[in-house]
Amino acid sequence: MTATATEHRPGLPGGKYLAIAHIAARQAVEDRAAMVGRVLFQGLILLIFSRLWTVVIADGSLGSHSMRELLWYLAITEWVVLSPPLIHLEIEEDFRSGDVAYRLPRPVSYLGSRIAEGFGTMAVRGSALAVSGFVWASLLSGGLPPDPRGLVLVLPLGILAASLAVVCIAGVGLTALWLQDASPAYWIWQKANFLLGGLMIPLEFYPAWLASIAGKLPFAAMVHGPGHMAFGFAPDRALATAGALLAWGAVITLAVAATSRAGLRRLDVNGG
Amino acid sequence: MTVQRLRCDLAFVRALAAVNLRATLALRGAFWLALVGMMLNNLLYFAMWWIFFDRFEEVRGWRFEDMCVLYGVVGSGYGLAVALTGGVRELARRIVDGDLDPYLTQPKNALIHAVGSKGFASGWGDVASGTLLIGVSGVVGPFELPLVALAIALSASVFLATGIVIQSMAFWLGRIETLARTIWEFLITFSLYPPTIFAGALRVVLFTLVPAGFIGFLPSSLVRDFSWLSLLAAAAGLLAYALLATVVFRAGLRRYESGNRFGIRA
Repeated sequence: MTATATEHRPGLPGGKYLAIAHIAARQAVEDRAAMVGRVLFQGLILLIFSRLWTVVIADGSLGSHSMRELLWYLAITEWVVLSPPLIHLEIEEDFRSGDVAYRLPRPVSYLGSRIAEGFGTMAVRGSALAVSGFVWASLLSGGLPPDPRGLVLVLPLGILAASLAVVCIAGVGLTALWLQDASPAYWIWQKANFLLGGLMIPLEFYPAWLASIAGKLPFAAMVHGPGHMAFGFAPDRALATAGALLAWGAVITLAVAATSRAGLRRLDVNGG
Repeated sequence: MTVQRLRCDLAFVRALAAVNLRATLALRGAFWLALVGMMLNNLLYFAMWWIFFDRFEEVRGWRFEDMCVLYGVVGSGYGLAVALTGGVRELARRIVDGDLDPYLTQPKNALIHAVGSKGFASGWGDVASGTLLIGVSGVVGPFELPLVALAIALSASVFLATGIVIQSMAFWLGRIETLARTIWEFLITFSLYPPTIFAGALRVVLFTLVPAGFIGFLPSSLVRDFSWLSLLAAAAGLLAYALLATVVFRAGLRRYESGNRFGIRA
């Protein structure tokens, strides 16, 4: 661990946070066993679904999508949801152990530094899972999607979506200030993301009323938005998804920042 | 002598379970938060299968109600295992850190003591959502309730035995907590999909190397369509994995190195 803040020109706006993200990224690179586990898990899920969609196709009931498209869809959505680290556990531990008291006097925002760490880890995980997801999906589906140009649009959308997920998970971590244990809130957030984002099954297959509700929430932009690029090159749709992600990003970041201020005020009153 | 020892171990298991339950319930707020959170977690995840079967109706004869039973049995089995024997999740860490000393120095079965020394409240959420799913499946009447209990107990026992085997690898391989957790997650993942989608070599693997068949498929088939042959196969699978867990843990203990730490265990 030799990287220091000075290496990243802290005089620049955000330089300190870049340094924090860099250190977290280097730590993530060292955690090879966990990375191998995630890559294998990603392959396992894709293997199971390749079997599932093959059986469904054999029964002749898949509609307008091919098995290859659906497997690439899952590879993209899995990439988006597996890339963000579980920073809520670290935030919870900071509050539980009282370590937050040592972090607050530092000349960086507490929440900002935790989110920067999340971005750093996400960059490493996301890069590795993008490569492995590409390999798994190519092998298990037998090639690239019918219109592979859509994959070019996946990269920016996926990075935006996973970044928004990091901010959301930080917000979930803050619930530990009120609930002591942030895990139940995380479970619910994660599964709502899976269900209303269309992680395994595209929203097109959902009942109309549920797809309509899902479309009004950020989960659809975060998961189904990038995933839909497996079905073809759709720049207009990608632009709309990017717009939705940026808009939701602004709203959620403001909400998480407000929650953090309220929570830390409560910490001041009650003690760490 | 063996019967007496078995009786002694069973009494110890009952005592540990009672202590675990009391300890979990002592923090009432945390208990209910974990229980309700885990229930919602499981039901939200399962809703994806409701959407799937609403669209595709069946997968090679496997229907929504079959998935309810499979999820119910596996979820309840896993929940029961971590609620009453949650220490299994920390076994690898205890082995590497030399933290088995307190269990080895007492006149009780060290393995039972180590796995039964901790319980997770979230496990009761798994049990609650699992039994709810079995209830809504519509395939279980009052006469099948003993079969449901038997299926859950079988699933929980194989979960526990496999967990012990995986975590005990730490005796030989050192720090493998992350790897052990990943393998256990693989096991759960494989157990939660319709068995009809797996064929050939993959199906053989699911009943041997990865005992997903003994955790989910066979126990849930006892509830859906009971046969003595399935019960016999499930019991044989459990016996084999329980034996393997005991043998591996005992063999590993010969390589165990104490942490040489002083401490008090209340």
